[in-house]
Amino acid sequence: MIKYEQTICPYCSCGCGIYLTLKDGKIIGQEPWNEHPINEGGNCPKGRNAYQFLYAEDRLKTPLIRKKGKLVKASWDEAFDLITSKLKEAGPNEFGLLASGKNTNEDAYVEQKFTRVVMKTNNVEYCGRLCHSSTAAGLGPTVGSGVMPISQLDIEKADCFLLVGINPSETFPMMTRRILRAKKKGAKVIVLDPRNTVTARELGDVHLQLEPGTDVAVINAMMKIILDEEVENKEFIESRTTGFEALRDHLTNLDLLEMKEISGVATKDVKKAARWFAKARTGCVLYNQGLNQHITGSDGIKALATLALITGQYGRPGTGLCPTRGQINGEGTGDMGCLNVFYPGFQKVGTGAHEKFEKLWGVEDLPANPGLPYTKMIQQTKYLWVIGTNPMMAAPDIDNVQKDLEDKELLIVQDIFPTETAQLADIVLPASTWVEREGIHAYVDRRVQKINQIIDPPGEAKPDWWIICQIAERMGHKAQFDFSSPGEIFEEIRRCVPPYKGITYERLENTVGGIQWPCPAEDHPGTSTFFTQKFNTPDGLGHLQVVNFQPPAELPDAEYPYILTTGRSIFHYHTGTMSRRTPKLDAEVPSGFFQINPKDATKENIKRGTKVVLTTRRGSIEAEAHVTNEVPEGLVFLPFHFSEACANKITNPVLDPACGMPEYKVCAVRMEVSK
Amino acid sequence: MSGIMYLARSSDPKVLEKAESGGAVTSLLRFLLETGKVDGVVTAKARNGNRYAGVPVLITEPEELIDSAGSLHCSIPNIPRFVKEYLDGAMKMKLAVVGKPCDIRALIELQKREQIDLDNLILIGLNCTGTISPTTAKQMFIDEFKVNPNEVIREDIDEGKLLVMLEDGTTKSLDLMKLEEKGYGRRENCRRCEINIPIFADLACGKWGTEDEEERATFIEACSDKGRLLVEEAIERGFITAERPDKKSIKKREEKDNAEKELAELWKERDFKPILDLDLSKRLEYWLNEFNKCIKCYGCRDACPICFCDHCLLEASRGFLEGGEIPPDTVFPLTRLAHVADSCVNCGQCQDACPMDLPLSKLFSLLNARLNEVFGYMPGIDVDQKQPLSAVIMEELQVEDTFLDISSINKALQSKSSKRD
Repeated sequence: MIKYEQTICPYCSCGCGIYLTLKDGKIIGQEPWNEHPINEGGNCPKGRNAYQFLYAEDRLKTPLIRKKGKLVKASWDEAFDLITSKLKEAGPNEFGLLASGKNTNEDAYVEQKFTRVVMKTNNVEYCGRLCHSSTAAGLGPTVGSGVMPISQLDIEKADCFLLVGINPSETFPMMTRRILRAKKKGAKVIVLDPRNTVTARELGDVHLQLEPGTDVAVINAMMKIILDEEVENKEFIESRTTGFEALRDHLTNLDLLEMKEISGVATKDVKKAARWFAKARTGCVLYNQGLNQHITGSDGIKALATLALITGQYGRPGTGLCPTRGQINGEGTGDMGCLNVFYPGFQKVGTGAHEKFEKLWGVEDLPANPGLPYTKMIQQTKYLWVIGTNPMMAAPDIDNVQKDLEDKELLIVQDIFPTETAQLADIVLPASTWVEREGIHAYVDRRVQKINQIIDPPGEAKPDWWIICQIAERMGHKAQFDFSSPGEIFEEIRRCVPPYKGITYERLENTVGGIQWPCPAEDHPGTSTFFTQKFNTPDGLGHLQVVNFQPPAELPDAEYPYILTTGRSIFHYHTGTMSRRTPKLDAEVPSGFFQINPKDATKENIKRGTKVVLTTRRGSIEAEAHVTNEVPEGLVFLPFHFSEACANKITNPVLDPACGMPEYKVCAVRMEVSK
Repeated sequence: MSGIMYLARSSDPKVLEKAESGGAVTSLLRFLLETGKVDGVVTAKARNGNRYAGVPVLITEPEELIDSAGSLHCSIPNIPRFVKEYLDGAMKMKLAVVGKPCDIRALIELQKREQIDLDNLILIGLNCTGTISPTTAKQMFIDEFKVNPNEVIREDIDEGKLLVMLEDGTTKSLDLMKLEEKGYGRRENCRRCEINIPIFADLACGKWGTEDEEERATFIEACSDKGRLLVEEAIERGFITAERPDKKSIKKREEKDNAEKELAELWKERDFKPILDLDLSKRLEYWLNEFNKCIKCYGCRDACPICFCDHCLLEASRGFLEGGEIPPDTVFPLTRLAHVADSCVNCGQCQDACPMDLPLSKLFSLLNARLNEVFGYMPGIDVDQKQPLSAVIMEELQVEDTFLDISSINKALQSKSSKRD
């Protein structure tokens, strides 16, 4: 019998609805779910091909244990016994766990609880470190919270958009849809991006095509123009912010010509953008990795938030800085405390959070000091458990990541495919995913939606939470991990994480489009707009930030004359684990490529399809050239989806000191045509 | 030519209670299932009782039919796609399919393409004056009707009004045209649709013409022998009762149909005129600007009930289009247009599935209207009338002029044949 089952797309964090068509327990197709408020029946190419990866031939189906150098099939008991005996040998802070932006909140909650309660360390992180850690570091001091402050639905209410380092037409198409709707009503779109992306071309009314990594210079120039022309929102600055005098002094001393020299953007365009944004009734800022992934990522975000504050673009539907999460649970895994400095609900390590959770969990000696951030954890732990994340593709400077992972006393990889990281594991555990299990996710705008189990997992694959609980029990902590279903875990989450208190499984089943946290009570509708009365800072005010421009860590020179930047394509997803196993997406872009400007291509004797070796100080990779005006002269763009042309083999592992974000977006590179 | 008409009622009191008109459709389906004349019934059903989530279902147990009784104005289930894609085009089973006029028309077009087996299908068409996108409907109920969408238990579109009935028995109605001018109301394609009574189905059922009846009834027109036999047998076996409608009743039905047709013409004028008023280069610019929003999701193709190729020319793996590019080359939308525009039944599913809000339904129905004029072809009405872009007539082959005026050839042919008659 044919049945249509509702679910939410497994790709980015928009949280679009789809119907899966089921026949005899197998998914045989998918159909538009027109009632879903986020996508109204439309999906992007990935969303239209959402389920095929589940049936890829190389799904992990049994535990694997490395014996005589080879991964061989093993039973769950065998794997559990080995893991337990090894982990019992781990010394203080020798253990680390990398969680996933793809797991459910229930999985993530159990993962951090295991790390803290059983292993007594705050060494728990997830891929959020690599995409939005600069958001937390930038927005925390400025407005007090690093979440999207509005509802996605309200994006279309804006009459001016500032898109900074984001290419939504490829990475968040449902947001582009709303921008297009706003444009029909006359909204202006300002695009800040070094690349002439499809977003810049099709949405942009003005494109500030800046030199990579010079966002702060452009944003400071915009603020200076706004103050010079007195189009700032004086009332908002007066009543809702603090630090204006220092900001004014700082901006007064800035030289617009110098800013132009640094960024390469014509001052007249910056002026146009500044005026549009300042005078907008509803100014919406969407930003992403192009701003975040720099050693100055958190600075850029502070400056951008300050720009929104002095123009009063905060606290109303459609306004404010919207960080765009790339993973279905990019928000939720962080909410659950899979971060080295946060207990669940962003209760900060070192502020007494451990004492609170000792009471809540009925345990003693919870760790009170921050754990290691993602990349340091790879380097410094002896026992590492990697769940649904693929640092062998995602972390910068892969050759060194490989050395570090090979040196581990114990490397457990829990995933759905034999990923590049799983190839190095001592133990591989097969996980069930998406509609093979039940649980909730928090999507980009804090929108909590539930995924129901629709099909059986392959082979002996198990839900992440179940695997963790089994190990916890064997490590002697049954009392704290005595969960028999995700629903039981969720009830504990509701008790321990206040913003989730009013959300129940039953409410989620009956609320198409989910509920936006914070939701303090079961009769509370959820919160779509933040900061309407005050900011989440201790004094409730927006703290205007003074930020100086600093250049990226590694710029071109005679030996490495081009800038390399990395990013994504609409047809693929992150490290390619899912999308490259989806035949239609694979057919669109079957192999690794890089973009080069026609003038540079001529200079280097490169044509479309030429195989080229790209070399940085970290190493070399080979990729096929796409000659296109999408990149300006001097810039090379390399997507990071492809293991055969692994971008992160050659990216620079230097970190933003404020948050541990690697500078994926700029390093120096040279090119040689392959022989 | 009109078929035999009935005013029919279900003989089952439970069905009568739940039905919006006479419940005859539900009881006809029950007759078909119980007597084994069909293996299953394809219809729309509110998923988990949610009126905004009506989905196609295959019902094989007579007891389950009652759940699908009543109409769903705020759902847009793709019935013909369900038959084509998931039921193997009814090649191996006998089905009764209940659908709106556009659903039935799509099935007839699919038969022309040999993608379904109409011999295995009984087409039960329902009168339709349009449907509303579920997200629009919910927002409209909140903003304009000031009611909680979850409390709506029925909607109706009649005499220019949209009426909703609530759980507590109260009703509210608002002027549909006014709602639509504000951007609410029916889907664009439905506003422009002039086919309200599906007389090309085996049965065309509805409530127009039953307004003056003391007891609610279903107006049925049997448009084929298959349809007439079905009604007669169901009467004989006691599943329904029926009488012949009087002239007044038939006239009423006609008048309502005509009023809706006039409204559709108004909407066509409103929607098409601004585009047709553009000179050709501006018009091209308008469409290219829309095409440039395309993100190559293939949602329009997949939702199109008429599209059927297993290995579509537009797939990246075919090498016809450069893979991995957005927007895709203009050849993408134009190929779709060339492949199905002549057969477009204005169901609007392509536009509903488009994540970038491209006015696809407008494009296809505009072009389709032009093609209709040229070829005198109306898709989905007559299974024997072949689609003009795939059926070449001898006269066309004999003409050497590439820019031949097909419309005058067709007219000449028609006048020749009518003289012969």
